[in-house]
Amino acid sequence: MKDVVLAGYARSPFHFASKGALVKVRPDDLASAVVKGLVERTGVNPDDIEDLALGCAFPEGEQGFNMARLVVLMAGLPISVAGVTINRFCGSSMQAIHMAAGAIQMGAGEAYICAGVESMSRVPMSGFNPMPNAALYQTMPEAYMSMGETAENVGREYNISREEQEMFALDSQQKAVAAQSDGRLAGEIVPIQANGSNIDADGCMRPDTSLEGLAGLKPAFDEKGTVTAGTASPLTDGAAATLVCTAEYAAANNLAPLARIASFAVSGCQPETMGLGPIFSSRKALERAGISAGDLNVVEINEAFATQSIASIRDLELDPSTVNIDGGAIAIGHPLGATGARITGKAAQVLQREGGRWALSTQCIGGGQGIATVLEAV
Amino acid sequence: MQAIDKVAVIGAGVMGAGIAAQVANTGLPVVLLDIVPDGAKDRNVVASSALQKMLKTSPAPLMHPRNAKHIQVGNVEDHLQWLSDCDLVIEVVIEQLEIKQGLYRKIEQHRKPGSIVTSNTSTIPLAHLVEGLPKSFQRDFAITHFFNPPRYMRLLELVAGADTRPEAIAALRTFGDRLLGKSVVDCKDTPGFIANRIGILWLGAAVRFAFEIGLTVEEADAVIGKPMGIPKTGVFGLLDLVGIDLQPHVEQSMLATLPEGDLYREIHRPSTYIERMIEEGYIGRKGKGGFYRLNRSKGGKVKEARDLETGEYRPAVAPSLASVRAGRQGMRALVEHPDRGGRYAWRVLSHTLSYAAALVPQIADDVHAVDQAMKNGYAWKRGPFEMIDQLGPKWFAQQLAKDGLAVPPLLEQVGDGSFYRLEDDRLQYFGTDSAYHDVQRADGVLLLSDIKRGAERVAGNRSASLWDIGDEVLCLEFHSKMNSIDEGIVAMISKAIKIVPSKGYKALVIHNEGDNFSVGANIGLGLFAANIAAWLQITESVKQGQYAYKALKFAPFPVVGAPAGMALGGGCEVLLHCDALQAHAETYMGLVEVGVGLVPAWGGCKEMLLRWSNNPRHPKGPMPAVSKVFETVATATVAKSAEEAKSLLYLRPGDGITMNRDRLLAEAKAMALAMAKDYAPPEPRELQLPGSAGETAMTLVLNDFRRAGKATDHDVTVGKILAHVLAGGNTDPTAAVSEDKLLTLERNAIVSLLKTPQTLDRIEHMLETGKPLRN
Repeated sequence: MKDVVLAGYARSPFHFASKGALVKVRPDDLASAVVKGLVERTGVNPDDIEDLALGCAFPEGEQGFNMARLVVLMAGLPISVAGVTINRFCGSSMQAIHMAAGAIQMGAGEAYICAGVESMSRVPMSGFNPMPNAALYQTMPEAYMSMGETAENVGREYNISREEQEMFALDSQQKAVAAQSDGRLAGEIVPIQANGSNIDADGCMRPDTSLEGLAGLKPAFDEKGTVTAGTASPLTDGAAATLVCTAEYAAANNLAPLARIASFAVSGCQPETMGLGPIFSSRKALERAGISAGDLNVVEINEAFATQSIASIRDLELDPSTVNIDGGAIAIGHPLGATGARITGKAAQVLQREGGRWALSTQCIGGGQGIATVLEAV
Repeated sequence: MQAIDKVAVIGAGVMGAGIAAQVANTGLPVVLLDIVPDGAKDRNVVASSALQKMLKTSPAPLMHPRNAKHIQVGNVEDHLQWLSDCDLVIEVVIEQLEIKQGLYRKIEQHRKPGSIVTSNTSTIPLAHLVEGLPKSFQRDFAITHFFNPPRYMRLLELVAGADTRPEAIAALRTFGDRLLGKSVVDCKDTPGFIANRIGILWLGAAVRFAFEIGLTVEEADAVIGKPMGIPKTGVFGLLDLVGIDLQPHVEQSMLATLPEGDLYREIHRPSTYIERMIEEGYIGRKGKGGFYRLNRSKGGKVKEARDLETGEYRPAVAPSLASVRAGRQGMRALVEHPDRGGRYAWRVLSHTLSYAAALVPQIADDVHAVDQAMKNGYAWKRGPFEMIDQLGPKWFAQQLAKDGLAVPPLLEQVGDGSFYRLEDDRLQYFGTDSAYHDVQRADGVLLLSDIKRGAERVAGNRSASLWDIGDEVLCLEFHSKMNSIDEGIVAMISKAIKIVPSKGYKALVIHNEGDNFSVGANIGLGLFAANIAAWLQITESVKQGQYAYKALKFAPFPVVGAPAGMALGGGCEVLLHCDALQAHAETYMGLVEVGVGLVPAWGGCKEMLLRWSNNPRHPKGPMPAVSKVFETVATATVAKSAEEAKSLLYLRPGDGITMNRDRLLAEAKAMALAMAKDYAPPEPRELQLPGSAGETAMTLVLNDFRRAGKATDHDVTVGKILAHVLAGGNTDPTAAVSEDKLLTLERNAIVSLLKTPQTLDRIEHMLETGKPLRN
């Protein structure tokens, strides 16, 4: 077996969909700016790149065609670099990393760019032409269940009070705001030019979040429920990219690896509690890495909702002090296709910064799935 | 004609910002300036926060939020040089002569030579404003007095000074009339001009006599309101609305400028009762309450009225006065009634109307100007002289004399006659020269009421008529109750389609001068038919409406709709079938059927689908048009202006918008004639619709809305039936759906909804209360 490493991570600033600074930026432009930034920052020789694997949850409209190939061309990568657009909903760009790592193990190239993008301003969730199968909906409506409803289900099943969710959301906001003001985020952000201005910082965080403010919000998905806009990740525009290569290649080319990819896994679960996906996929990945949750020094879990994050942390018996140290998606944002690359790159980066041996990145996926990656310090 | 292509408004208070918004509504660029507050970080903060506030104000000063981009905010310290390319500068600052004059001197240094400067002053005479200013300034200066809120109140009082250039006045008149859509009335340079001069006396008299005669506030408002043709806020409700605390300022400024011996000085009495209300913060709706308040203390919402003796609040009671009931027979019956309501009406009217009569020609050249001002500035149904005509001028004069009140010379002059008369079908008014003169309409104004006067209708029934409006154009007028669409209107549509080609007409315009174009179908008839389970008849009558509208669409001549006010439900649908619309800027269109538990079934779903499918800027595929129409119809979205209607595609990109309602018919007719030249009717189209997949997608949305508490159970039922229609029924995305197939789906949908008790409850509730039932 070869050692496959993450040797670079960069992302765009994340901004609110429909009202943020990136509304007018096309997703392919956004992705190519970040890919370009990653190539420049890592110093990888573009001629060595086998493929650009680009995750996107709603690959239509401006995210349509084979966006990955177009981003290769737009980013000025050599014509020899291939491009594949990958859809596993929210797990899309983590899947891109997994596919690259698997391909590298098969000897199919030495370096891959694994990225993801979503403009939730310009391509709506569910896309422009949602056309569910009426017969499946009749027999199994949960196959198309809204994400908010699944979050309520998890909250009920795990008895997670609204207050507990709000404490979690406040903590996420405070960690993210602290990370931003301490300059811990600036290094990973590739500035984006939009409407003549230079967008170089995240826009979703709410520094003035308070428990009182959160308590005043109305339930967003169920009038009798507990999940609000404050305890859910916001609709977001953003892109993220990582460089995945063999350890040998990194060493030979003076690249600086962040972490070794130790194992990964995907798993299916009940669609109506899709938020529990990280539990099943993480257990598989941890087992494959030969470690237990107690061994983890750093965890990045995608905060699609506070309920499913709390439930996953609880069942996996994660140490909360290791989780989302620089804040999570409730504060930073969740551009569906880009999140997997962000949290995996972030986990590697934080592991290197904070020290320790093991890190986990994991997320839930609509329709009832989980995905997880275990990283080891290099 | 001097062009006005760019405007500056100085003073960003409620009036200044509102005037700037109305200029922006025309699409012209406007500069909005105000002072720099001490120590302000953002030196434009006053103007920019006024603009931000307007985006949240309801009713909205802007006809579309995007109009805000026409307004450039700044301040009077840094940006006066912006005046150098403005053709008109409107001053709307505090009513203090020194401040205004100081500003004028600064404006004079920066403005473009020959540009026009106006003030929105309501109290300071023009002669005082320009005293000591350069001749060049005086020549370019006038008063343009707007009413609050400037977008919605139609009156614009225009005052020229002794030296004002006639071309400047002509330019202002055209700008006010054609662009801002105002009814421009020429006033003399006298205190309060026309509307406030009479209006303030009327208010003073109405308040004072209510106390003196001992009426409750509800009684006073009931007498003042409907019987006199004055908005139902009456007098006390009006004071609550505008702010009781403003009154002392208005009164004092009037008293400071009115001539000696003016009747207002006699009417005016300082009221300790009102002074105490102001001291205690009971200043109206913006304060703790006023003469009325909504008491929410016990969880509910109780409307309370203030006792005029004790000053205590008590639950409001619907007044029962025999005089108000008698008033339905006319104003004379009201004022002659012996009860306290009748006595009150007489005392208020005798003072107000005689005051108005005594002020012509002092404040305006003629009685018609005074009537126009009161109707458009105070929203009275009838002007003072129209009211005197109703009472009978001679009788009125006699009663004044009997009461020991002065009989104005003009009233003596008119004697046995009346202030208005018809002469050869022309409306004429009584002039101060004792001769009758034609009421002049401005060039380009065409009123159906003028055409109808003395004319024979081409055809007609109880609900609708056809009128020849000249140049071989026919006009279809609705005149049923609230212009609701009924069998009579449907029949007259069919008739028009036959008459236009057979009698040599070129085009049809659909227009009326009601407050609202049409509030929708007559749902009372539907309810009745459903209650007796007359399903076949219901299907048949829906079908007849569909066929009539369809025939209108495919008629061999152009049909232009010219709506103003509300055009809802079936009233909106008739417009959707026109070839083009020329809409008044204040047109409120919407398919609101779901509010009564129904879906649009006279082709409304079909026409909206066609429009959105045809929109090149909308995403492609089977769903985007369907989703958009679903969103619009399922939420009963009503456009709050004609401009907003364009965004919702109730209006098409090529449809016209007329700012001045009086010009609507002429512009619609011109549009119809232009289209008649090489007219070819549209071809029927087919649509590719998503079928069951689309229906499922919309069902998912409905279920999410239900769960989130944004929809009721019956909303979901209605929504699912609407989804079935919009998805094209059981079609497949590879198949084509005809317009007729969609009409069948609409028809089936409405019949199945009329079979649900919840829909019938909604209809009944709407008929009883005028409000939708959320069941």
